[in-house]
Amino acid sequence: MTQRVAIVDFVQTKHGEALEENVRELTFGVVRKLLDRVDMDRSEIGTMISSSADYWQGTSCSNSYYYDAAGGNLKSGSKVTEDSVFALIYGMMRILSGHHRTALVVGVTKCSECPSENTLTNLAADPFFHRPVGLNTVVAEALQARMYLDQYGPSEEQIARVVVKNMSNAERNPYSHRGGKFSIGEILSSSMMAAPLRCMDVPSTSDGACALLLADEHTARQLTDKPVFIHGIGWSVDHTYIGDRDLLNGALPKAAEMAYSRAGVKNPSKEIDVVELSDVTSFHEIMWMEQLGLCDAGNGFRLVEQGVTALDGRLPVNPSGGLFGANPFVARGLIRVGEACLQLRGEAGDHQVPRVNKALAHSVHGLGGQSHSVVILGN
Amino acid sequence: MAVKSRIVKGFISLPYNWSMGPTTTRFYEEFKNKRIMGTRCEKCNRVLIPARSFCSGCFVETTNWVQVSDEGTIRTWVLINFSYEGQPMAPPYITGIIDLDGADVGLPHFVGGVELDDLETVAKKVRIGGRVKAVWKENREGHILDIDYFKPIN
Amino acid sequence: MAQAVAIVGTGQTECGRRTDVSYPELVYEAVSRAFDDAGLVPDDIEAVVAGSMPPAMEGVNNPHLYWADAMGAGGKPLIRTATCGSTGISLAHTGFYHVASGMFDLVLVVGAEKMYEGDPQGTMATVADPFFQRPFLAGAPGIFSLQSNEWAHRYGIEEKRVRMAAAQLSVRNHDDALLNPYAHIRIKITVDDVLNSRIIAYPVRLLDVCPASDGACAVIMASERMAKKLGRPTAWIKGVGYCGEQAFFSEGDKVVWQSAINAAKSAYSQAGITNPRKDLDLAEVYNPFTFQEMLFYECFGFCDFGHGCDLVEQGVVMRGGDLPCDPSGGTLCTNPIGATGLQRVSEVVLHVTEKAGDRQIPGAKTGLAHAMGGLDQFNGIMIISSVL
Ligand SMILES: [Zn+2]
Repeated sequence: MTQRVAIVDFVQTKHGEALEENVRELTFGVVRKLLDRVDMDRSEIGTMISSSADYWQGTSCSNSYYYDAAGGNLKSGSKVTEDSVFALIYGMMRILSGHHRTALVVGVTKCSECPSENTLTNLAADPFFHRPVGLNTVVAEALQARMYLDQYGPSEEQIARVVVKNMSNAERNPYSHRGGKFSIGEILSSSMMAAPLRCMDVPSTSDGACALLLADEHTARQLTDKPVFIHGIGWSVDHTYIGDRDLLNGALPKAAEMAYSRAGVKNPSKEIDVVELSDVTSFHEIMWMEQLGLCDAGNGFRLVEQGVTALDGRLPVNPSGGLFGANPFVARGLIRVGEACLQLRGEAGDHQVPRVNKALAHSVHGLGGQSHSVVILGN
Repeated sequence: MAVKSRIVKGFISLPYNWSMGPTTTRFYEEFKNKRIMGTRCEKCNRVLIPARSFCSGCFVETTNWVQVSDEGTIRTWVLINFSYEGQPMAPPYITGIIDLDGADVGLPHFVGGVELDDLETVAKKVRIGGRVKAVWKENREGHILDIDYFKPIN
Repeated sequence: MAQAVAIVGTGQTECGRRTDVSYPELVYEAVSRAFDDAGLVPDDIEAVVAGSMPPAMEGVNNPHLYWADAMGAGGKPLIRTATCGSTGISLAHTGFYHVASGMFDLVLVVGAEKMYEGDPQGTMATVADPFFQRPFLAGAPGIFSLQSNEWAHRYGIEEKRVRMAAAQLSVRNHDDALLNPYAHIRIKITVDDVLNSRIIAYPVRLLDVCPASDGACAVIMASERMAKKLGRPTAWIKGVGYCGEQAFFSEGDKVVWQSAINAAKSAYSQAGITNPRKDLDLAEVYNPFTFQEMLFYECFGFCDFGHGCDLVEQGVVMRGGDLPCDPSGGTLCTNPIGATGLQRVSEVVLHVTEKAGDRQIPGAKTGLAHAMGGLDQFNGIMIISSVL
């Protein structure tokens, strides 16, 4: 990439269980606040890319309902769906093309208004083969967790530490939906949901929205003193049928490799200072860390146990609390990017990590992590 | 007037007619005779189930039918103990991915015939690498659930 | 500035009631044909863009993940774009920006729909928000009838005249569809047949309305460097434009329709088009409803406002006319919605690369592809030319 694209600013809702505002109001709220913060008039926005999903909104063509609320009225725009990091990627492409100097990127989901994640992701399974046997994200994730357990043999306590860490980090994050101090015992005494996953191993869903302003380097420097640059971006999809895939080594290494090579990252575990990843379960925070090349395969749970991934560790993972803190399904990926920005700008408050020069954000969707995206950011 | 946001109940129900295509149709027709058929890709030589009309890796059509065993090995499994709208049966139950003998890709299905009262004992009978065999229903209609479940053997 | 973007291959399926194949198999059919057309294999592709209508249309959430294998996308970057009826053109735009950004040299773009598997109007009724509009905007025909009545009233166009022009457009589309092997509705009809067909939503009659189709379309886009290396018949994307508007149907002016006007303006300015009527050799206008097509002529600057009917009466937009529109038979005869906008793109590509067979517009060098979506909310345009 010859030209550089920067994130000017980021705004998120105080995520919650069932927010009072409707989808239009949530969207308007974050975009209005973002424009106020960067002191910009809506007319100055180049293009607007949003991300939401129809089944997760109970509205077909979900962006039709909030296009104007997201600041897009009479502007060029689009909607990329299921993973809000796609919206960041597409916004970046539009700036790199030279057609636009700024791109507003918006993500919104109100999980309280739609059927459960289990039901909606079962509908993502093909109707003839996967759906009738009840595959959905949680079931697929449990199948992966079982394989991980069998191959590397972590103890339940070692896995539960992820939840303890993320819930405790989330308590420090003023935008999180949940958070608190939990003991390993409390997590291990939560009921078995999809063995080996207990209820507390799986973050439940949330309502939330976020907005982020992208700009070319020149424009970004005019709008902010603290631009955060996108150094590299990568994304990848795995095969359709779950039985065709290597469930412990899927699309994520490919997405990571693309992002690292574009960002010139050669040794991720040394070069990355903070990680915001989509911890769809406690096991998956560990599995994704390994597949991102941040540690050796089968070693992730040891790093967690040693406190390496803690807020004050060598490689903090999910200082925001991750999805355990808030999980507005489609918007969650873009929130990871936004949280990584806050860390780079030193604006993360009580969950700030010291000395951050390079950050990694990650997002995932599809059964068993069929699709991943990875973003490398720096200032 | 200060009010609290009201929650409006909605229910969207729409009918569907999904075309399986002849390849998947035959795959399930063979179920009536308790046969699990795959298609072999002539390029990469993989046997694919469900039988499919093309190999995604080689991007060529696959028309070479081969029968695979209704016995196989558990690649991974999960004990389901939670409920959701649209679930195939009331929990608890076990879902696994089965690598059938003669197939190069896995089959997601239920693992059954095991008492589910205690997780510790379940984990002794159902394990990764464990052998299973299909238990077919008496009345088979050409559906993935013509196999009731896979039962651990040995 | 933006890297030049070429289209080096297209693939369309036969459209209609395609119960002979599953949804992924339909996608595979279009993608395989695009590869054959471009002389490429899946390994050559660097990134994939896919999309369709709301998943409620087929009852499969995440259709892009369901199609991943059918597109040869395993192990590649894949993004799903979905903007309702304008999805097809939005997909083409997404693919365009993949290349124009300088990030990729070869990108596969796929749109598909299998509307016989679901309840299209039931799905479309859920586009409107549940609190305010859903009970009133009765699917697509309801919305477009509201719009065309307002248009005719605003300019005082006599009802008889509008109906006659609409009927002529319907006959033109059905005649042209007979020349298009991929078209869904392929019947010979007369003006009287249209005028006497059943009213669906006044003034729209059965033969003024598109069908719901099964169909898929795939397009392969390339950077200039790659297109020159491939050395095959190539079309060039000269301009893209897209504009969206308010969620509430009654808020905007749907006659002097800003989103349509803006989308065309930005595409024209990138393409250096100052007089569309002269500079364009054909236009594939998204025309699910005959009446609406005339409104688009006005918004796209083919004629002045209030004069859409003139272009039909004078034969300008007919095959053999000055600016033939929808020589494929258009959306009116074939509408697998997620693929429809991409079919418009493919059709223009076929004309400017002289591969349109029986439906070829002789000597066509530059054409316009268009799609529209949402509650009369989104319009997208792409200008495609045989010259870089
Ligand atoms: Zn093969």
